[in-house]
Parts: sequence; C-alpha cells; structure tokens
Amino acid sequence: MSTQPQPEPTTPPPESGLPKVRFWMVCALILALALPLQLSVDAGLFPDVLNPYYLHLLTIIGMNIILVASLNLLNGYLGEFALGHAGFMAVGAYTAALLATKVLPGAAALPPVIGTIGILVVSLGGAMLASAGVGYLIGLVTFKTVGDYLAIITLGFNMIIVNAIQNIEFVGGPRGFTGIPKNTNFVAVAVCALLTIAVLRNLIQSSFGRVWVSIRENAIAAELMGVSIARAKNWAFTIAAAFAGLAGGLWAQNQQFITPRSFDYIKTTEILVMLYLGGMASLSGSILGVVAYTLLMELLRNLLSAFAPQLAEWRMLISPLILIIIMLTRQTGLLGNREWRWLRPRPGA
Amino acid sequence: MDTIIQQLFNAAQLGAVYALIALGYSMVYGIIRLINFAHGDIFMLGGFIGLLLTTRFGWMPFFLLLPLAMLLTALVGVTIERVAYRRLRNAQRMSVVITTLGVGIFLENFVRLTVGPETRQIPARLPSAKVVWLQQHLGAFVTWDKLLIILISLALMAILWLVVNRTLIGTAMRAVADNKDAVPLMGVNLNLVIAVTFAIGSALAAAGGIFYGQAYSIDPYMGIDLGWKAFIAAVIGGIGSIEGAVLGSFLLAGVEVITVAYLSSNLKNGIAFGLLILLLLVWPWGIMGKPTLKKV
Repeated sequence: MSTQPQPEPTTPPPESGLPKVRFWMVCALILALALPLQLSVDAGLFPDVLNPYYLHLLTIIGMNIILVASLNLLNGYLGEFALGHAGFMAVGAYTAALLATKVLPGAAALPPVIGTIGILVVSLGGAMLASAGVGYLIGLVTFKTVGDYLAIITLGFNMIIVNAIQNIEFVGGPRGFTGIPKNTNFVAVAVCALLTIAVLRNLIQSSFGRVWVSIRENAIAAELMGVSIARAKNWAFTIAAAFAGLAGGLWAQNQQFITPRSFDYIKTTEILVMLYLGGMASLSGSILGVVAYTLLMELLRNLLSAFAPQLAEWRMLISPLILIIIMLTRQTGLLGNREWRWLRPRPGA
Repeated sequence: MDTIIQQLFNAAQLGAVYALIALGYSMVYGIIRLINFAHGDIFMLGGFIGLLLTTRFGWMPFFLLLPLAMLLTALVGVTIERVAYRRLRNAQRMSVVITTLGVGIFLENFVRLTVGPETRQIPARLPSAKVVWLQQHLGAFVTWDKLLIILISLALMAILWLVVNRTLIGTAMRAVADNKDAVPLMGVNLNLVIAVTFAIGSALAAAGGIFYGQAYSIDPYMGIDLGWKAFIAAVIGGIGSIEGAVLGSFLLAGVEVITVAYLSSNLKNGIAFGLLILLLLVWPWGIMGKPTLKKV
C-alpha cells in the first residue's frame, strides 16, 4: 500500500502561514447556503435556476461523501481492502426505516419541523449504533486476517447481511421496505456530511487515529511500538460502520423505499470506484471523487439523451471504461493522498 | 437412498461448473497474486459465445463447438490481460483489482446491450436420455447430459493437471508462482507464461459457461453470482492450489445442494458465505493453501 511517502500534514509548507480558508469557514458557508436553498426550492422560487433536480443531485452527493469518506478510513488510512461497505449501509438503512415507521409514528403529532428533526435524530442515532455494533462484530471476527482474505470475509458479511434481510418477512423480505416517511432533505444531509468529515479529519490527525496509518505503513513496527493492532482495527471498523449506517439511514428516509438487493456488492463497487477515482487516504479525494463521479454520470446521461437518445443505454459501457482508463493512466486517483489546505489541521495544533 | 444419490449427481454437476471457474481464479492468483474479479464475467461471456455458435452454426457437433468456444473465450481473456492488466503489473495491487472490477462491469453491460438482458438457454446438444444402467443398479434418475458434463469437466481438469505438472510451460507457470522476479532472469518469457495462464483459465471458464447454459440457463449478470461462488470455492480450498480449487468447488456445491434440498433455497447464499467465514477462521489459508510467512 505504501508506495508514496505520506505528506506530513502537521508541518505546513514553510512559505505559507495560516491557511487562508479554514475548515470552519467552509462548514459555515455550506450550512448558511443549505437552509435558504432548501427553503426556496421547496417554495418553488426561481424554478429555472433552483431546479429540484439539482438539489436532488446535491443530496445524493452528500450521502455518497459520507459513504466514501468512511470507507476511506478502512481502505485508505488503515490500508486494508474492505469490500462490505454496502452491508453496513443496509443495517443502518433498515434500522432507520424501522425506527421511523414502526417505533416513532407518534412523533408526527409534534409540530412539523421539530417532529421531523426528532425522528431524524433518533432514527439516525439508532442506525449508527446498530451498524457500529455489526461493524464491531465483524472487526472481532476479521482481526486475524489481512489482505485478500480480509476482502473476502468482509464481502462475505455483506452477502450474509443482504441474505438475512431477504429472509426477514417483518421488514418486507426480498420485496423491500415501503412507506418510509421522507424525513431527509438537503439540509439534513449537509449537516451529516460535514459532521462526518469533521469527525474523520480530527480523528485521523489525533494520536488515536495515527495508529491506523502506522499499521498501514508497517504493521510489525507498529506492534513493536506497543500498538494493539487488533484493537485499532476494531475501532476503525466500528467507526467506519457507524458512518456507513448514518448514510444508510439518510438514504432510506430520502428514497422512501429500500430493497435488500440495493445493498449488494454492486453498491459496494460503486463506493469503491468513487473512492479510487478521488484518491486514497485523502478526505479531499473522497469529496472530489464523489462529486466528479456523480456529475460525470449525470452529464453523460443528459448528453446522450439530448443528442443520441438511441445510445442512452450505452452510458453503462462508458462508466466502467472511464474507471479502467483512470486506473491505467493515473493510478493514484485524481488527488493522490494530498489534502486541500482547508482540510489540513491548523499548524501547531 | 435413491434421492441422496440423485442429489449427489446434482452436486457433482454444480461442483464441476464451480471448479471450472474456480481454477481460473486460483491459477491467476497463484501466478501473479491478482484476484481477477472479471473472471466470473469471462465465464458468462463463454456461455454466450457458446449460445452464438449453437444458434448460428447449428450443424456443428458439440465436440467441435466446445473447443471452438473455449478458444474464442481464451482469445478474449488474453486480450483483456494484454490491454488492461499488463501495464499495471508493477503498480499498486489494488489498482489492478479495481481495473478487473471495471472490466467485469464492462463485459456485463456489453453483453446486456448487444444480446439483451433476457435469460436464455443454450439449445441442448447433449443427449438427454436417462442413464439406464444407473437406474437399474442405484435406482437414481440421472440423465446422460448431466453425466457427460461431469465427465468432460473431470477430463478437462485432468488435462489441466497434466499441463501444469508434466509440461515445460506448466513448469514455467509453477516457477513464476514460486518467484516472479527470479524467473525472467532464467530466460523465461514472463509475459508468455502469464498470457498462457489467462488463456487456460478463460478457456476452462468458457467450458463452464456452456455446461451451465446446457444444464440451467444463462443471462448477462450470472457471472456475478456464480463468479463469487466459484471464488469462495477457490478460497475454501486454498487459493493458488489446483487441487484445492476442485475440492472446494465440490464441497461448496454439496453444501448448497443439501441446503436447497433440506432447508430453503433462500438460505443458499447466506449458508455458502457463512461456511466460507467459518472455514477461513479455522484454516486461514484454505484447506490446501500454503501459509504465507511474515518476514521482518
């Protein structure tokens, strides 16, 4: 995994002082824009510019950022090849759907905004807890294995989770879970995505999180320095799973309909593609990868249906081709493991 | 008793198909340590090439059709290796793995767009009469095509074993598996050895695809499910080992057939993967795999 030297993030380049744009500024800007954007789209203002379709795209991008950034923790920073991320997402999605429809319907009696926020907080919290629990268990089982075998076991767990849900009649079995209330909007997704990035960014720079990078670079040396590899891996799996569950919970309450098959290995592959497109071990790469992939796919869809509708289906051939070409020409992804400056920690912090 | 023997034959037929796919995974992994995720889709492509040949050249006997389809699929496999994997041989391992995922999705969508998403069956080219001898002596209802599929698959595996263990190119393949860096220094053409490995793996997968299309049915996405199953089989047996891949395939097929017959077909995949995880926890390198030593 370690072909390039990791740029030392805490020592700033000598010529630069404080980064001009800081992380909290970006967060504040996005939050300040999110609420008016959502409200004006809901109210139908400026229908030509503020199309609900664009907001839908932004929502998808936000949820994918949570997924890709949390997978980056395992595949980029810990340096393992985990192939079961959609399984954690499924646990979160089904937990949130159950909480929102079967446990908390009474909350609809609350005032509209407060009720929705309450349901969202409880269902997403439950989703994170449930998938963190599953992630902890999978971490326990896989701690002995590395490399290809870890990939296989995580994939196996993904398949088992999907298969188990298919056999639970209570949540709809193979037909899927219908009638989930639409509690997720762009504001909720933006808050969750920023929270994910903030938590991951700070974790990775902490001494707690640097253990993961040390395991990636040299597991034996890390062990000799007193790192408990099993415990560190288990934490990584638990945290990554919790955030995947958060994305799943948001997704369920945005789509309003989920089936077990939408969480199989094709979904995992899609998350992987966005991760590798952006670059490993870089949160900036995760964000860029998601944005680039989502926009490219939508652009291809629109271009093809505008100019050559009979070829619209061939879009499905172009996306894997792009992936192959990127891997052949730029294996480190768009960003490699560099970070945008506003995502780096403050010097001396 | 007779149903058990019948189930045994079902398991043997499914296991033979799994083994034909699993061998390709295992050989490629053994030689260049690459999990070729596109291999399941090569299997699917082999099935569709078989379908094309049987429908366009109906006069062709099965024993001409099978080698021809295997040859064509082998060409595709070698081309993919040449175009997409060779340049990445010294790159980060995960880049190649991602490339194989991309190639797999490409093949699936290509077949879907050119042939169509429908489930099809390859027109029967093997006799479907029942084997009278087996019915008289064991009381089992087994058809000739099932028996032939099992026997031809076993013959192909035997040929593979001979090629790997008794020929010069097989020796070269085992040498590359042992030490990829030293072999070119001995004057062996590494590219040729790897290309031959891909050709053999793809040809075997094509045979599996045709058999599967004769026994069951084929569709553009079958490579995902069956490819993963065969991959599990290779891992259970110990990836990189030919005998292990065959053993793991028949084991997995046996477990699956028993699950479907006595429990529920819905639990098939869950039990297959549960078995995989349990086995890997007991034998971390598979039943016949070689443990990799940690060097400090």
